[in-house]
Amino acid sequence: MIEQIREKAKELLTSGEVKVVIGYENGGMPETTRPVFITSPDEVERLIWNKHCYANLANFFVRKEVASLGKPAIIAKGCDVKAITVLVQESQIKREEIVILGVTCEGVGEPLLSKCPICDVNTPRDYNFLFGKEIAPKNGINKSADVEEFERKSPEERWEFWEEQFSRCIKCYACRQVCPLCYCEVCIADKNQPQWIETSSHTRGNVHWNLIRAWHLSGRCIDCGECERACPVGIPLSLLNRRLAKSVKERFGYEPGYDQEKAPPFTDFKQEDSQEFIR
Amino acid sequence: MSRIGVFICHCGENIARTVDCARLAEESGKLPGVMVSVDYKYMCSDPGQNMIKRAIAEHKLDGVVVAACSPHMHEPTFRAAVVQSGMNPYLCEMANIREHCSWVHTDRELATEKAIDLVRVMVEKVKRNQELFPIRVPITKRALVIGGGIAGIQAALDIAAGGHEVILVERQPSVGGNMARLSETFPTLDCSQCILTPRMVEVARDPRITLYTYAEVEEVEGFVGNFKVKIRQKAKSVNADICNGCGDCWNKCPMKKIPSEFDAGLGYRTAIYVPFPQAVPNTPVIDREHCLKFLKDKCGVCAKVCTRGAIDYEMQDEIIEAEVGAIVVATGYDLYGIGKEQPNERWKGYGEYNYDTYKDVINGIQFERLLSASGPTQGEVRRPSDGKVPKSVAFIACVGSRDPEKGIEYCSKICCMYVAKHAMLYKHKVHDGQPYIFYMDIRAGGKNYEEFVRRAVEEDGVLYIRGRVSKIYKDGDQLVVVGADTLSDSQVQIRADLVVLATAMVPHKNAYEFAQKIGIACGSEGFYSEAHPKLRPVETMTAGIYLAGACQAPKDIPDAVAQASAAASKVQLLFSSDELEREPIVAKVNEVTCVHCRNCIRVCPYSAIDDKEIRDRHGNLIRMVAEVNEGMCMGCGTCVAACPSKSVQLAGFNDEQVFAEILALGHE
Repeated sequence: MIEQIREKAKELLTSGEVKVVIGYENGGMPETTRPVFITSPDEVERLIWNKHCYANLANFFVRKEVASLGKPAIIAKGCDVKAITVLVQESQIKREEIVILGVTCEGVGEPLLSKCPICDVNTPRDYNFLFGKEIAPKNGINKSADVEEFERKSPEERWEFWEEQFSRCIKCYACRQVCPLCYCEVCIADKNQPQWIETSSHTRGNVHWNLIRAWHLSGRCIDCGECERACPVGIPLSLLNRRLAKSVKERFGYEPGYDQEKAPPFTDFKQEDSQEFIR
Repeated sequence: MSRIGVFICHCGENIARTVDCARLAEESGKLPGVMVSVDYKYMCSDPGQNMIKRAIAEHKLDGVVVAACSPHMHEPTFRAAVVQSGMNPYLCEMANIREHCSWVHTDRELATEKAIDLVRVMVEKVKRNQELFPIRVPITKRALVIGGGIAGIQAALDIAAGGHEVILVERQPSVGGNMARLSETFPTLDCSQCILTPRMVEVARDPRITLYTYAEVEEVEGFVGNFKVKIRQKAKSVNADICNGCGDCWNKCPMKKIPSEFDAGLGYRTAIYVPFPQAVPNTPVIDREHCLKFLKDKCGVCAKVCTRGAIDYEMQDEIIEAEVGAIVVATGYDLYGIGKEQPNERWKGYGEYNYDTYKDVINGIQFERLLSASGPTQGEVRRPSDGKVPKSVAFIACVGSRDPEKGIEYCSKICCMYVAKHAMLYKHKVHDGQPYIFYMDIRAGGKNYEEFVRRAVEEDGVLYIRGRVSKIYKDGDQLVVVGADTLSDSQVQIRADLVVLATAMVPHKNAYEFAQKIGIACGSEGFYSEAHPKLRPVETMTAGIYLAGACQAPKDIPDAVAQASAAASKVQLLFSSDELEREPIVAKVNEVTCVHCRNCIRVCPYSAIDDKEIRDRHGNLIRMVAEVNEGMCMGCGTCVAACPSKSVQLAGFNDEQVFAEILALGHE
């Protein structure tokens, strides 16, 4: 499969249709990979594809250094494509200005990342070229089983759990840096006139940051799990993200990243909305 | 360091009764940055205002807080006062210690504490206020009137008489609205059509009025003085420029059994039709849902008989775009359906009155048609079932209205008068007949209204029975009306040949959707909301859009006409200057931090935000951001809430100000 990807990358770069191919290369240590930006057809051999290709490369579209290279092609798993779809919806990229080299994926990580067993986009929903054998989406997956399990705890227990988790946050903002949808140039956490988010390293400030991060992603987060993977102190951020995703799905019947044409619930208004108080 | 003045008003007793104003003044004087703090009995009075003006000069104030009533009332007063002392009006704020404090509390001690908090909050806000300057926008001096009933007609004529162009849009094939369907009008019993048709003709003749009938407003964009509207001219299938209204087509049309909307289903019309003889314009339209040509591609008789060649089966809907500066909404009302089908869950209908089952149970507008010379019986009162002249008629008031159980709490206002009129007109036509009226109260508050009701009772022998009707059933060819007489505390049964239900006036079934489309508000019942129930009764909360007639609340003809003229005078007031000054309370995008996620553009209810390209000096696109059109922004702040990076700020209510207010509440 990687041979076909390299061939396509070479073809695209040679013809000049794209100026850069965003993909994965060996990470220097066993079982690691890292993002690579191939700008010359001679370098396509560096590209690899294996079950350690975790990173959601959609994160790089909005980086100025990458954008300045010219039209990109990107190697994207089904989950990464969902992020691209949201980025298109939020007008961060134009779909026709990128080339998606979709790869079918049976899951990444050893053991599999928590997002993989509940994945229903093993075959990406959008691509220009597809590599690998198509995998039919699994039916009847419960995407919020872990949330439901967690919700069986009492509010006090849940609060105690999160308080402990957030108390360990060191505000390195890796979760923000790695998130493909955290693209604001000046984050609300960095605004200090006025100071919206408490910056103290006390648990209260940590809770504030972590909740705002999750809240700003509600209805947008496509559960690529990058924040959780990047967190150096191991806060289970996906659990928080999935909790919000569950509410959004229940209340608005909306799952981000699946349909570019469907309006995101928080910036949409429907006349048949039953909430009459809004009149 | 700020130099703030705090001015505390007693509002006579209104505030001083509950709030210790002297103590409030003393405490306010201790707040950091406050140079002067005084209290006075009536701050809005001339001496009160002078006090503020003098203090600004004397203490070189750079901010003023007036602790008094709601800014809705006197903010303009005090802002005008500070301007006279050379201060920017937006450096003056009000702390509402009346509606938010003295009127809603009884404990003097606690109320005073709260008043101190409210003043502290405003002092902290004012310290961060910036000078703001009004925004000037040009005005398109052309008005759009939506709805061609009596209210719309009156508004259009008045605006045109003031020398301005008017576009009048009517959904039906003719102007005239519900008033054209009425027989005679209370309290004078003059013929409705006789007084209405001259106005209809005038509308068509006035060169300043462009009339679109069989048309609907599709879209309204823009803002006061600068609306862009799209009007859908539905295909009439008849070329109005050629048609001379001879009537050959509708006389020859074979589809003769279509229930006439104008006659409320009691009469029939053809597929090509004018709704009534005095229609304006007198050009027929083809109802494509019933026309054989469109249903089966047969017939075509109208085209054959038309000597002018005016029939055009190929005609398409047309979208007309227009720019207008003001809009008068005069879309009128519907009647509460008394059948089994109801448009919403709250309305329960009146199954017990068997309106759906018995042909001789009719509503008020149907009775109007029976009384009208242009109606299905040529003005003879004949009941629908067998055409017999009814010898006794029961009129039931408040069917729907004032009946929360059935879903409507309000009074429809006109029914008391028109049931009296109905009973009276019936008696005038059927001398040996007996009218009965079941009523809850008689509300006859209008000029010559009470006298009119008395006349019905005393001269025409109308029998009023105070009580509700519980059911109506059939016995032979008569209807038995079972009800209570609450004055004699007994059950009554009336045998009637015909029953007329005075059903509630309700908003149009599409009123809410239409309000959404043009950007105005609806009350819970669906009638359009005025900006203030007493002091701004014809304006909506959307600047430049005015209300006339029963779309705002149930109204009789004089009230509808008065409101229409009032709306027209508001429009002329707007058109009296070339430029419009708007409040500078508008949103502004910080282009440095905006990442163009377009949230604000999607949520803006006024479509006031657009994409903007940022280019370098060579014209290369650097990036995109959002930009607020100051002329269109209404300062609602929805975009501020939706912006993830807090890159939109509302002038006069920026984050720093709001934070300072919240923090001031927390820190004693």
